[in-house]
Amino acid sequence: MIKFERFSLPNHLRVLFHKDATSPMAVVNVLYDVGARDESPEKTGFAHLFEHLMFGGSVNIPDFDAPLQKAGGENNAFTSNDITNYYDVVPAVNLETALWLESDRMLSLAFTPRSLEVQRSVVIEEFKQRYLNQPYGDVWLELRPLIYKEHPYRWATIGKEIEHIEQATMEDVKHFFKRFYHPGNAILCIAGNLELDYVQTVVEKWFGDIPSVGENLRNLPQEPTQTEYREKTIERDVPSDGFYYAFRMVDRLHPDYLTCDVLSDVLGRDKSARLFTRLKKELQLVSEVNAYITGSLDSGLLVISGKLNPGVHFDALDDALWNIIDDLNEAPVSSKEMDRIMNKIRTSKAFQEQGLLNRAMALSMFELLGDAEMINQELDQYASITAHDLLRVGREVLQKNQCSLLKIKSRRND
Amino acid sequence: MIDRSQAPNIQSVSEIQFVEPERRELAPNLEMIAMTSVPNETARFDLYFDAGKCRGDKSVASLVNGLLLSGTESKTSVEIQESINSLGGFHESGMSTESAVFSIYCLREHLETLFNIVTDAIENVAFDPSEVEELLSDRTQKLQINQGKVNFLSQQAFREVLFASNPRYARPVELSDYENVSIDELRNFHQRFYKNGLMRVVVVGDIQQSALDRIAMRSLDLAAKEQPSFETTITNTSGRVTVEKKDALQSAVRLGRILFNKTHPDYLDFLVLNTVLGDYFGSRLMTNIREDKGYTYGIGSALVELDQTGYFTIGTEVGSGVREDALEEIQFEIERIRTELVPDDELERVRNYMMGQLLKSADGPYAMTDLYLSAHIHGQSLDFYNDAIRSIQTITPERIRELAQRHLDWNDFSVVTAG
Repeated sequence: MIKFERFSLPNHLRVLFHKDATSPMAVVNVLYDVGARDESPEKTGFAHLFEHLMFGGSVNIPDFDAPLQKAGGENNAFTSNDITNYYDVVPAVNLETALWLESDRMLSLAFTPRSLEVQRSVVIEEFKQRYLNQPYGDVWLELRPLIYKEHPYRWATIGKEIEHIEQATMEDVKHFFKRFYHPGNAILCIAGNLELDYVQTVVEKWFGDIPSVGENLRNLPQEPTQTEYREKTIERDVPSDGFYYAFRMVDRLHPDYLTCDVLSDVLGRDKSARLFTRLKKELQLVSEVNAYITGSLDSGLLVISGKLNPGVHFDALDDALWNIIDDLNEAPVSSKEMDRIMNKIRTSKAFQEQGLLNRAMALSMFELLGDAEMINQELDQYASITAHDLLRVGREVLQKNQCSLLKIKSRRND
Repeated sequence: MIDRSQAPNIQSVSEIQFVEPERRELAPNLEMIAMTSVPNETARFDLYFDAGKCRGDKSVASLVNGLLLSGTESKTSVEIQESINSLGGFHESGMSTESAVFSIYCLREHLETLFNIVTDAIENVAFDPSEVEELLSDRTQKLQINQGKVNFLSQQAFREVLFASNPRYARPVELSDYENVSIDELRNFHQRFYKNGLMRVVVVGDIQQSALDRIAMRSLDLAAKEQPSFETTITNTSGRVTVEKKDALQSAVRLGRILFNKTHPDYLDFLVLNTVLGDYFGSRLMTNIREDKGYTYGIGSALVELDQTGYFTIGTEVGSGVREDALEEIQFEIERIRTELVPDDELERVRNYMMGQLLKSADGPYAMTDLYLSAHIHGQSLDFYNDAIRSIQTITPERIRELAQRHLDWNDFSVVTAG
């Protein structure tokens, strides 16, 4: 049970406070409700580039990192297709330093041309390092547009192409800030050995005078229901053939969301799951295989991915994989299998909740979904999923016309 | 209105609470470390074996490590996985040059059962030929994939130059390691370094003493028969190696030199120097090469410890066109720290940052256990961290410059680029 308090400021900033009397550290987590899905198709990769610019100095403070380091703290951030999340971990006695820094960059950035110029280069190197200069690194750049035709999930967080990042202008930066970086579009979570009164006072002090901006209405093009099977093959200089089967699934708030998660566990969470035992151990078709969900807020994906063993053809895998899916959609999962999966979920949840930073991030995310209290209900929700639910949802999701397949063919195998 | 240009007052961290786990000597070469004050249901155990890469020829050590759950005479690998997974256990296996660690993460109610399952699996590996074949094929594929990564290529080549004085430490993994592996070779390694190679059992979790006693008893069956000893003759070598990779968009750069570990009197002060130079986001290397030049997504330095020595290393991946510029800037920063005194405000920032990091490293039972182990493995007690606090708080700019002059001479460095 994770306890927390909630309050908000007149400028609409939503604040969560989670007390942990055992830790000498405090966490300040700021979640902005903006991600790559909010970008324009001509200017992709911008939310993430912007995350970098948030460290390039704010209106009253030339450098974000140095004062935090001086207070014994550290920080980082990440951008997804849905959100941008910033966090600071500081000795609890220096909480205010983090609030001072976070509030000033919520108020306004310095918008120095130098910062834009350098961070463009840094992000381009990141693009190369993570997506272009790694074997299989560009898979998601190829897979997304195969699945999503309308929704902005059709591009990756890093962006469609390097050119979009090269072309980002200061005008774009200012516009983006104005639209998405304001109290009403943020959730602040503070965790540590602190008292609520104190937290309220200092949050009020640093965030209270940031002007409120009207509500940011999101009107994203929704992805139409997929009605046909899609397939694409790309050739790359990689040692082994790879495969990605992506099935369209429900959005994060849909009642079947967690059921899809459990379905992916049945298929491919670990070395006891069906894909591993059948495709690798029995049939020796693959060297590795996994199943997982993307966890996105809008209609997401259940993905089965892996690599073929030498000499195995895609067709052999395809037949075997659909047989496994047919079995899953035919007969209910045994109680032994359900117990195993629930035990794994229990362990991973207990470990996730071990760390103060994880708790602060998860609380912020659930608050974005509607109510931070959902963090305490999730385990019961998982436990209430029945074999019948899995059968029903499996039959909806795991079917051919919901599937897009990306094959990565090794040029070396020709 | 508040004055936002004015930073809030900060308090320096001056004291850190270190919690010592319980230590028992189970046998002359086997110990148990237990941290039982865990305020939740989570638990972990680690088994440390004297089975690091340096103990075997070619990749034998790492192959045996990969076969630990591959089945016994009475249980298949699938059955072993099933028994671990159905209790909600997660396993993790780590290999380094000098040791092999097998870990389980679980809820405390299952820890003892999982311990018994895992020790049984590890003790009685049957080396089933089909499991061995499968592993060899998987490892071949993984290595081929890694060979497409400039970072991997640079690390392999770096080890070769850095450890030129010792072939066991220098040897890169090769595809031929996975051909013609004899099962006897694997069995012999297993017999010597796993069945008779357990050096340390670590338990973190709110576990009852009686259960710990039983775990201790069981551990004795695998106890190491001899005191592990490690290479003492590693000396520094230097050189420049360029690994070509066609069409690479980035080059990986890795450089460094043999230095020392915790037992050296300069170690703690050197950590401050290392932080200033390259071990945090505000470091000189990050500031210059990422934040000023935009050559890279990241660059860092570290002091890596071995049993008898250690080495200092800098690593980064940079745009292929700026590889030489990046190397020049790295050299420039090393020269700068050797010649100029670190300004007071920068040193003040590093002191506070390092204290904050140490505070974080002692936060919670898992972090605290790892912090303890990091000292203990090198023969130090928790007092080591009080010495660390003293070093962080009292080191002078002159001392940093002196250490840089003594230990960071460019001519002593091995420099490798790949891409």
